[in-house]
Amino acid sequence: MKKTRNIYTALVFIFLYMPIFVLILYSFNSSNSTSTFEGFSLKWYRELFSDSATLDALKNTLILAILSALISTVIGTMAAYGINKMQNKYVKGSVMSVTKIPMMNPEIVTGISMMLLFVFVGVMLGGKSSLGFGTVLIAHVTFNLPYVILSVMPKFKQMDKSLPEAALDLGCTPIQSFFKVELPQILPGIISGLIMAFTLSLDDFVISYFTIGSGFETLPIRIYSMTKKRVTPDMYALSTLIFVSILILLLVSNLVSDKNKEKMSKQAKKITKIVLSSVFAVIAVITLIVFIASAGKETVTVNVYNWGEYISDGSEDTYNTNLEFEKYYEEKLKAQGKDVDVRVNYTTYASNEDLYAKLKSGAGGYDIIIPSDYMIERLKADGLIQQLDLSKIPNFDNIEEQFRNPFYDKDPNEKYTVMYTYGVIGIIYNKDKLAPADLEKIENGEAGWELLWDEKYKGQILQFNNARDAFGTAMYALGIDVNNATDEDWQNAYNKLLMQKPLVQSYVMDEIYNKMESGEATLAAYYAGDCLSMIANNESLGFFYPKNENGEYVTNIFADAMCIPKDAQNVEHAYEYINFMLSPEAARANAEYIYYASPNSVVINNEDYIDYLGEDYDLIYDPDFNNLITANGEEITYIEYMFNTYAYRDLSDESRAKLNSLWEGLKVDSASFGSGIYIICAVILVLLIGFIVYKYIERRRHRRLYWNNAAQPKVVVSRNDFNSTAMYDAVKAELEATKENEKK
Amino acid sequence: MNKKSLLQKAVAAPHVMWAVLFIIAPLFFVVYYAFTDKDGNFTFDNIAELAQASYLEIFLRSLCFAFLATVICLIIAYPIAYFMTKASPKTQKILIMLVMLPQWLNFLIRTYSWMALLEDTGIINNLITAVGLDPVHMINTSGAVILGMVYNYLPYMIIPLHSVMSKIDSRLLEAASDLGCSHFKVITRVVFPLSMAGIISGVTMVFVPSISTFYISQKLGGGNFDLIGDTIERQFQTAYNYNLGASMSFVLMIIIMISMAVMSKYSGEDDGGVIV
Repeated sequence: MKKTRNIYTALVFIFLYMPIFVLILYSFNSSNSTSTFEGFSLKWYRELFSDSATLDALKNTLILAILSALISTVIGTMAAYGINKMQNKYVKGSVMSVTKIPMMNPEIVTGISMMLLFVFVGVMLGGKSSLGFGTVLIAHVTFNLPYVILSVMPKFKQMDKSLPEAALDLGCTPIQSFFKVELPQILPGIISGLIMAFTLSLDDFVISYFTIGSGFETLPIRIYSMTKKRVTPDMYALSTLIFVSILILLLVSNLVSDKNKEKMSKQAKKITKIVLSSVFAVIAVITLIVFIASAGKETVTVNVYNWGEYISDGSEDTYNTNLEFEKYYEEKLKAQGKDVDVRVNYTTYASNEDLYAKLKSGAGGYDIIIPSDYMIERLKADGLIQQLDLSKIPNFDNIEEQFRNPFYDKDPNEKYTVMYTYGVIGIIYNKDKLAPADLEKIENGEAGWELLWDEKYKGQILQFNNARDAFGTAMYALGIDVNNATDEDWQNAYNKLLMQKPLVQSYVMDEIYNKMESGEATLAAYYAGDCLSMIANNESLGFFYPKNENGEYVTNIFADAMCIPKDAQNVEHAYEYINFMLSPEAARANAEYIYYASPNSVVINNEDYIDYLGEDYDLIYDPDFNNLITANGEEITYIEYMFNTYAYRDLSDESRAKLNSLWEGLKVDSASFGSGIYIICAVILVLLIGFIVYKYIERRRHRRLYWNNAAQPKVVVSRNDFNSTAMYDAVKAELEATKENEKK
Repeated sequence: MNKKSLLQKAVAAPHVMWAVLFIIAPLFFVVYYAFTDKDGNFTFDNIAELAQASYLEIFLRSLCFAFLATVICLIIAYPIAYFMTKASPKTQKILIMLVMLPQWLNFLIRTYSWMALLEDTGIINNLITAVGLDPVHMINTSGAVILGMVYNYLPYMIIPLHSVMSKIDSRLLEAASDLGCSHFKVITRVVFPLSMAGIISGVTMVFVPSISTFYISQKLGGGNFDLIGDTIERQFQTAYNYNLGASMSFVLMIIIMISMAVMSKYSGEDDGGVIV
């Protein structure tokens, strides 16, 4: 019996710790894979300490946790005191149940309800950016409060009421009596409330996710945006460090408290006092340091909101664009006599629609955003971006003539954007897993979109997790014009996607990196630059641009451009950043890192860059693109023709509504879902109800037998009936327990 | 005296104000957005839209997944919580610490780590193929999603169960066996009814987060099993349809309120059970 018990316990603990072992193990991996171990190395720990964004996020998380814990502890303790003094049962009860709401409500509901409040207030205040550090702090304090109150309240209840009275009688003022008599008694409750609030805030993701604004990123939020792409093992390294330090902390505190018990209670109290005050001291010191550190030098912050993996970020010894900009700009400002810290606050999004929702929610305050063509049209129409003063961007001259006035920003006298990159959507595939016939087709340049609808690859196809691109793939496959689709066209595209759904492994954005590189999936349509990045990491991957029967490219071409939002806080610095991004060094480093086509003449004509790309150069800058063709009686380059024909344009409100509702329909449709789960659920439910009914009937019968009959068995238990007192107590307790049960 | 007691109560005022501003007002906005259209006109359309078969299925599916996850958690946690009470106080303390320890790591990264384990080319399948067996497809199935829920919320079941069970008077168990109960009967007739409060609070603590999760289903289900949480999240973060999202949250809140009411009917005590 004992053996099975131990085995069972061990199994459960293995289950609980399996992912953590994996995490620790792979933090020592020498490659960046999170599924194959290729050798021991401490590389990721080094990376971690040079990853300023992660360290910043860690710092932010700590500041937020400390502040919210302190605020909620103060308010919560006061509240517990006041509520305890309330005599009216109904007032007390209703205050308590309102207090408990954030505990009972699902986190997501708390998150969105606060977001709605903040957005509404933001709109009322004139559409200014309303989400930011303040809102997350409010949200954290709100969900911390009930835990603090519920851990302090019992201490007030347990406290002897005559003690404060005695203190008052002996001449204390109420304030003195609170600090000298009551506070020491409730201190353990306050401490445990504080610690709980601190941990909750430290670990919170869901509520922060909905209430966080620009310019502030906590660790869980950073991890979230990382898991959208691929988690680099430096995050594993950080988790390992956190895990180990908490393990040590807990072990030490356990040992200390064990020793305490053995000693005299007075001494124990002394030790706890010391421990507690040192905890307070540490927290206070940390807060102080944080404040001093942040108040030390004037800081210039540039908030950049960009696509994920869309900049050379210094990983694996590459050029760190943001760091270089900070250095460059600091020096420049120094030359002007301003000694300031420059900090780039770089956060990422996964799709144009995410960006739009974020801007609309009032999480403004971004200085630079990099949306795509059709979204730029929409942002322009909504008045969310501002006109640029090109005289502040001298490097604009580096942009090639044909990319200066693209279709979404045609007027040369009214510029809103500076193109960052452009690219084409292509299909990435795994050579090892594709059928030879299909491979041949690809090599002959005959392969098209239909490959993504091939039954052979069921469960191995990835599809875009954003409406516009997903419908784009279906429309190109069907030969529908993506910008002038009729209702019937939309419906056809929807049916096409519905047909594909059973074949799709999952709907992804940047998660594609992990899934393609590890060989988890075989086929996917994605943006060219990202595809080439993946190929650089896994040689068995290939890539092509889909063509129709006539051998013409039929696929989306897109351009992403830098814009300054209307409500940007630091317009001057934003210009500086844009200009820097166009400088030869930064532009080239980014082009090399992200493999997208650059519109920058100093990049595309750079010999080193051409050498670096090798064969990829022709894939990115297809020679065909430079061919001159005649369209509508005008001679233009093929790439201009592609932009005019295949780029997405902003849709009308009706079409957008149509697209959104069809997409919603596709996402919620679940043809692939079996009914097994429902059956199991139903069976368990029936069993459960049966059990409850059986219990109920049994209890009724029991009651009829014993209690309803006149002669209630009167059990008199006398100590003499038993050999031992233990037995006497046991039977007595048993009787009491049955009585209590009957009452229920 | 009266003045003083009023003053004492006034100490709670900041909290009451805070609660009105940041607990009640936000909930009011959920209801407001749920029953208005984009221009702020009153409408039932958002709620009516949820009556479509596909949304009903999402609700049903979320309920089922959360229900199964809760049942599995209970089945796994009950014995272990019971076994834990049998250990010495010192071991118990360490065991509890070990149960809570994983919770200190961010749940996103723990879930992500499961992904690495479950993938077709993941760690478990690599081990299986190394032994010479056929790989098993685990990721992107409903099982994987439920596993993620069970994994993440299991400690919230173990802890309240354990804390209630450890308070059961051991003499009761002795008495029961003295009076002729078998070992099994002791558990079903004495331990089980007495641990009801722990069960209720554990069930709540697992069911509520399970039914509203959105990360687990996205990562371990590959976006193929949309749950309520996913759908709500999409409305707010991508689709920019606050009204539909709010109406969904409203319905979710009602579902949870109903389930809580049903459960508290069986709990007897209304003190919220145990807080970890």
